Amino acid sequence: MSKRTIGKPSIKTIRRLKFYMIIGYVLILIAAIMSVSFLYMKKTDEVIINKVTEMSSSLSTQMKLNLEGYLSRIETIGALAFGDETTYSYDATDPSNDEYEAISTEKRITDKLSSLCIMDNLVDYGIIYSNNRSVGKISNSTTTLFGENMFKELSSMITRHRTNDGWAAGCKGDYRRIYYVKRVHSNAILIISFYVKELESVFDSSEINGNMTVRLVDDQNNIIYSFERDEIGTEIDTAITERTKDKNSAVMMDDKYLISIEKNGKWHIVTTIDTASLLHEKNNMHIYIYLTAAIAALLSALIAVRFSFRITAPVTDVVMHLDTKASIDQLTGVFNKLTFEDAVNQHFENRKDSEKYAFILLDLDNFKGVNDNLGHAYGDRVLAKTGSILRFVFSDDTDISGRLGGDEFGALMRLDDESSFDVLNQKCADLCDAFSTHYTGDDGKYKISASIGAAIFPDHGNNFADIYSSADKALYYSKGKGKDTYTIYDGGHNKEDKQ
Amino acid sequence: MKKFIRIPLAMALAGAMLCSCGEKQQVVHTKTEKTEITFSWWGNDYRNEYTMSAIEKFEELHPDIHVKCSYSEWTGFEERNRIRMLSGTEEDVMQINIGWLDEYSSDGNGYFDLEMLKDHIDLSGFDDNMLDYGRKNGVLNALPIAMNAETVYINKSIYDKYGLDVPDTWDDLYKAAEKMRADGVYPLAGSKKSMWLYSIAYAEQTCQKSIMDYNGHIRFNVNELMVMIDFYVGLVVGNVVPKVEDFNKLNIDNGVYAGTVGWISDAMNYYGKAIDNGSEITVAPYTAWMPEKAGSGWFAKPATLYAISRNTEHPQEAAMLMDFLLNSSDMADYQGLDKGVPISTHARNYLDSKGMLKGLQYDAAVQMENNYIISRMDPQLENEEMIESFIEASNLVIYDKNTVAEAALRLFKIYNNMYYG
Repeated sequence: MSKRTIGKPSIKTIRRLKFYMIIGYVLILIAAIMSVSFLYMKKTDEVIINKVTEMSSSLSTQMKLNLEGYLSRIETIGALAFGDETTYSYDATDPSNDEYEAISTEKRITDKLSSLCIMDNLVDYGIIYSNNRSVGKISNSTTTLFGENMFKELSSMITRHRTNDGWAAGCKGDYRRIYYVKRVHSNAILIISFYVKELESVFDSSEINGNMTVRLVDDQNNIIYSFERDEIGTEIDTAITERTKDKNSAVMMDDKYLISIEKNGKWHIVTTIDTASLLHEKNNMHIYIYLTAAIAALLSALIAVRFSFRITAPVTDVVMHLDTKASIDQLTGVFNKLTFEDAVNQHFENRKDSEKYAFILLDLDNFKGVNDNLGHAYGDRVLAKTGSILRFVFSDDTDISGRLGGDEFGALMRLDDESSFDVLNQKCADLCDAFSTHYTGDDGKYKISASIGAAIFPDHGNNFADIYSSADKALYYSKGKGKDTYTIYDGGHNKEDKQ
Repeated sequence: MKKFIRIPLAMALAGAMLCSCGEKQQVVHTKTEKTEITFSWWGNDYRNEYTMSAIEKFEELHPDIHVKCSYSEWTGFEERNRIRMLSGTEEDVMQINIGWLDEYSSDGNGYFDLEMLKDHIDLSGFDDNMLDYGRKNGVLNALPIAMNAETVYINKSIYDKYGLDVPDTWDDLYKAAEKMRADGVYPLAGSKKSMWLYSIAYAEQTCQKSIMDYNGHIRFNVNELMVMIDFYVGLVVGNVVPKVEDFNKLNIDNGVYAGTVGWISDAMNYYGKAIDNGSEITVAPYTAWMPEKAGSGWFAKPATLYAISRNTEHPQEAAMLMDFLLNSSDMADYQGLDKGVPISTHARNYLDSKGMLKGLQYDAAVQMENNYIISRMDPQLENEEMIESFIEASNLVIYDKNTVAEAALRLFKIYNNMYYG
């Protein structure tokens, strides 16, 4: 066990404080960055959604105006038929008509009507009489669609009584054409029709989002026109109608759809965009922002750690130096008594149940004579040498050693297994040999040796005082045997000794 | 040393970030620009719908091209086209009548020279005889779609009911009328133009003289016009045909008309529903005094052509569309035999490979191709004013306003002002 890790609570405290400080700083930083990012995104989302709904509303209004313009132009073409008296007054059902004159009149009316719509893509533009005779351009498809009941069917399409006209689509389930009808007189109805496909130019807008679907829907929720051709003639999705119920002009947005609705007569223009696809880029941006924030937080944390080390390193060094000075006996280089005792107790407290330690107590023989005859300076050198012997014999990493006072030293080593007792014996013998190697003297007069007593934790004591007492008894036994030997405590009986 | 690097680097990074924040970036959203070309045609509902579907297919194949369509039924289209041509607002690609080559391009410069676009239009499917239909003054102005001819279609189910054979002579029609009259059934019916050409066939056979000379001038005199008027009036008065003004397609479906005279391209438009309802419809021989003379006085012509505006700003795209309309299997699929059997061998071979060369329309086309008496039609014979004048003159007789001689003289004077050389 390293000296740097034993008995330095101040350093530990500083490191712990430093760790908490960094963690706290990082957490605050992350919380701050995330909060700012969240608020920024929340505000941005609000702005984006508001802008999108505004744009959708504008687009919807523009489409409504386009549709009104287109339908109004058709109605105007219809109204122009009333610019010619013959056209609006002729009655093909009048039995008093001269047949030859009727043919001539009908030809004139046909020519007149043709001239009014000559440049338009119309399918039908003519007048149907109650006897199913017609003038103008009536397509075979329309004739086939309504058959013998054409006049009656067309009459039922007149829904606006002020102007005596009306619009119809999906007649008899045929959604290919849109019809405009206007009563000319009691026996005549003007009919104009065009292909639904013509509405492409009405609803075409360069601003339209690729995921937007524009639909023209009738009052029965049937789709008259849609960007999705397959939808035409089907009922609009109930998920949309539930959202647009009872609304004539509105924009609404939720997790599924951005919907705008505009009423035009009895029809509605309904535009829908799948919200997920609309906000896809925004959601991606969220990921980028969070990722950027996380990277910023990480970098900040790394910088914080780096600065923290830079700031605390000098303090730590000073504290460590002071701490070392406070815990190490300056003369011998081993722990002082207090630190040694703390370290021993710490080992005892933290040990596992099966672990055993050897507590070795060493007392120099004849040290008083050395001091008295050779002086205290020499005595100090002997003590310093004793410290270096202890550090040499005991591992600096796994064992601990300390000066307990005067010429008394202690050491603690872990016993890994039964064979460790051999190691203990060897260590004690090595200690004795080390002293005899250095201090035999020329004539043996000032020979310095050490008496050693050892005890086993927890067999001979499970705290410092007890184990010290046991080792001291063993030491006393060694002294009694003539010194320069070691004794391992054996429960108060005669102990094993060597030398 | 490290500080000397780190500090300027950090400042540079900070500066770059600040600059990027402060810089006002221009937002540019580039839109995909499509080349818009225009395309016009005339036709009935069915033709309009499949043509628009074909255009959608073309746009799908060429997403950088948008085709703006302009269409209408025949009535009024000629006037619409005239306004467009004279005002320089004609469409880039046009379906045209063969007569318009004379009217708008007598020198060959009225339409784009298609041989300048042969990198984009495959002309290999047209033999020289067919290309000649579209040449004016040696310039290839147009390409024909299919050959067309007036044809007699008979609802055999009705004729069988009256114990009558399919008519092949003029007399057969009168005999049929005698049997059908009581039931209000007409042995034959036709639109204005069809009855006009039918009357010409009768008059040419009767007078042994063609109505037009090779220079496009009318050769018929008053007497020969009298034959024409008398024939048509006789058909109406004898209840062989209804007046052209009363011609109504519904009466084909409901069996009031036991036969019609109409273009090859009209066959399915007229009889599609009747065939669906189980009636047996057959192509009758070209009506004649004698069966072996069938085809005399009858005419064949290209069933419309495609041309490109001489003013087009997008000749390449226009040529691509024209090639698609004439040669592609996609268009052949949509069009089928609606305009007759395609002249383009590419389209024709495709239809053949798909087993689509069959049915009423194909039978009518085969009859035309196998008849060696039938003549090439002079474009002037489709002039609306000429036709209207004939019908008006005939109505004067039908309603006892004029005698046949008076009406013929009146008609002669009108034509004299218009067409006589």
